[in-house]
Amino acid sequence: MSALLEQLARRQLVWQGNSQHTAYQAVSSGYAELDQQLAGGFPASGLIDIQTGPGIGELRLLLPYLQQQQSSGRLLVLISPPAQPCADMLCAAGIVLSQLVIVTPKTSKDALWAAEQCLQSGCCASVLLWQVPLKLAQARRLQLAAEQGAASVILLRRPMDGLSLPVNLSIKLQPHRQGVLLSVQKRKGGWPAAPFLVDMQNRWPGLCFTTEQHWQARRKAS
Amino acid sequence: MQFPALQPDSLGCEAAQQLPVAVVNEQHCIVQLNAVAGQRGIALNMALGTAAALCPNLQLLPYQPQLQLNILQSVAQQLYQVTADIALDPPDGLYIRLCNMLQLYQGLAGYWQALSRELKLLPYRYYYASGATPFAAKCLARQQLNLLTGEPDALATALNHSPLRFTELDTDSQQQLQRLGINTLGQLLALAQAELARRFDSSLLSYLGRLRGSFYHALHYIKPEHSFSRYVELLYDIIDTAVLSKPLQALLQQLEQQLQRINAACHQLQLSLLFRGMPAHRLSIGSAQGEYRAANWLKLCQLQLDKLKLTEPVSGLQLEVTAFVAQQSQSDDLFQPVPGAVSPLQLVSLLQARLGYHCVSGLTLQNQHLPEQASQRPLPLLAGKSAVTALALRPAFLLAKPQQLTETVEISHGPERLCPDGWALDAQRDYFIGRNSKGQWLWLYRTAQQQWFVQGIFS
Repeated sequence: MSALLEQLARRQLVWQGNSQHTAYQAVSSGYAELDQQLAGGFPASGLIDIQTGPGIGELRLLLPYLQQQQSSGRLLVLISPPAQPCADMLCAAGIVLSQLVIVTPKTSKDALWAAEQCLQSGCCASVLLWQVPLKLAQARRLQLAAEQGAASVILLRRPMDGLSLPVNLSIKLQPHRQGVLLSVQKRKGGWPAAPFLVDMQNRWPGLCFTTEQHWQARRKAS
Repeated sequence: MQFPALQPDSLGCEAAQQLPVAVVNEQHCIVQLNAVAGQRGIALNMALGTAAALCPNLQLLPYQPQLQLNILQSVAQQLYQVTADIALDPPDGLYIRLCNMLQLYQGLAGYWQALSRELKLLPYRYYYASGATPFAAKCLARQQLNLLTGEPDALATALNHSPLRFTELDTDSQQQLQRLGINTLGQLLALAQAELARRFDSSLLSYLGRLRGSFYHALHYIKPEHSFSRYVELLYDIIDTAVLSKPLQALLQQLEQQLQRINAACHQLQLSLLFRGMPAHRLSIGSAQGEYRAANWLKLCQLQLDKLKLTEPVSGLQLEVTAFVAQQSQSDDLFQPVPGAVSPLQLVSLLQARLGYHCVSGLTLQNQHLPEQASQRPLPLLAGKSAVTALALRPAFLLAKPQQLTETVEISHGPERLCPDGWALDAQRDYFIGRNSKGQWLWLYRTAQQQWFVQGIFS
């Protein structure tokens, strides 16, 4: 029996309960309820898949994490951002602009190549990759490169059905008036979680409707 | 030191060494030949017709003085590693001053060992001799004596037995001397100077004076170069950029050697691809962190070459570096070693080489209140002004061009009035933050004409 178990474990088909905490090193996300759900925060390295619509608060969710990743003096790379990044907002969130590199490749092939080079180099802490179609083999490649360079790569894409990618963490975001509604779809060493609200009212009061405003709006609508 | 066949010996490939190769000058006279040609009975100063009759498959090269000089300079640069004072003697000789190097190498034997080790790395044949003066050494070397000794007697004997044709005297003087029955240098040196001065012009006396060492002989010693320029003629035309990397690697390796010797690096290479029927294509390859290793440069060059579509085969490569910089060693963290030996600057160079310079940029914050001017995209990894404080509540992304608002939004914040100039009241904008039905947070503005535009997205 134990020989069979060992064989299965070697092929990574069996997860043992005591290996949970070693799945990845977590970095606090800056949001207490999220940290609690993710058992510590976002992974410090590896592939993080975020399925989200544009402009609903996905970057605001990541900023405290990115700022901590950058604090070791390593680079933050933005690959094919949807529009011109704004220095004011990043600077206000504590991102060091001299450690920020923006790459705007022409094709998605070049984008993946750039991501892999950045991850492998070991001088990047995090790479953000926007809207690049990713195949299973490419995701695996990015995951390996990220582990090699001890970096994290965050893939921001529209919600879509498809094969599950080999990722450390996969989450889905939905818009909400007080923040974002987050559901954990897949987590290495953990279980998927039901959607819950990440409240941004403390951190970003200008970008949330307070509950009073909410009820006022309801009343108007009725 | 004399090099009898620099041009044929510089043909690096194996095939060229199997064939008889000779160099002809403009008078159709053979001036240099390789070993195979020598075995076939071809001799120096032979007419071209005779040589072709002796050896039908003789390969001929035109004599190129500039190429000859370049090769001689590269030999001198190579020898500069072991000896200090080297002077060029075009077209085919080098003067090397021994006396100040002997103490370092503890005698002539040790010195010659070091020098011949360097010479062995080069493909050129050479003859050498030592002498008390430059002209004495040159005269002995041209006799191909390979005489290296510090004993004055042996040198004097050899010099006295030298025929006059190995001296620097012009042919008229030599003929005149031969008619007088003077055939060797010894006989000439034995004559009284006053007698010679009466019969011959001053050039003979000046030569003899410098040969004896009684006149000063000025030599221009070379200095190490601070630039690099090499040309390689490809043996056959190459259309495939992948194949180009082989000759390019050889060039880069030479560059690496030179840079390593002077402990330098360079930021930029100029690579020219020369074509037969087209003007040369110039590539400039940069490395933000100074680099000297050939392997790293080759990687950057290949990324640029991969992008290139060659319409015509390449016939030659020219590599130029105009400026060297001092090598800077970067200190790594001892306690948190980061895997991978790539520095941020190297990474940026790599990305720039493949994607183009304008595709990789940094971001700086300017002291401007207008959103279009607040963010700038300079070259990456530059530290901006730290004194600028960021304005609160700005979007993460700015659209390249503001778009007309076409949907209903719920305003959560505003207005914030921004005016490009104090007096341009027509251009003032009232900014709002709004949320549309899809839950996106937009940065909107209302113009003085009551038109609404979306300028940014809060992500």
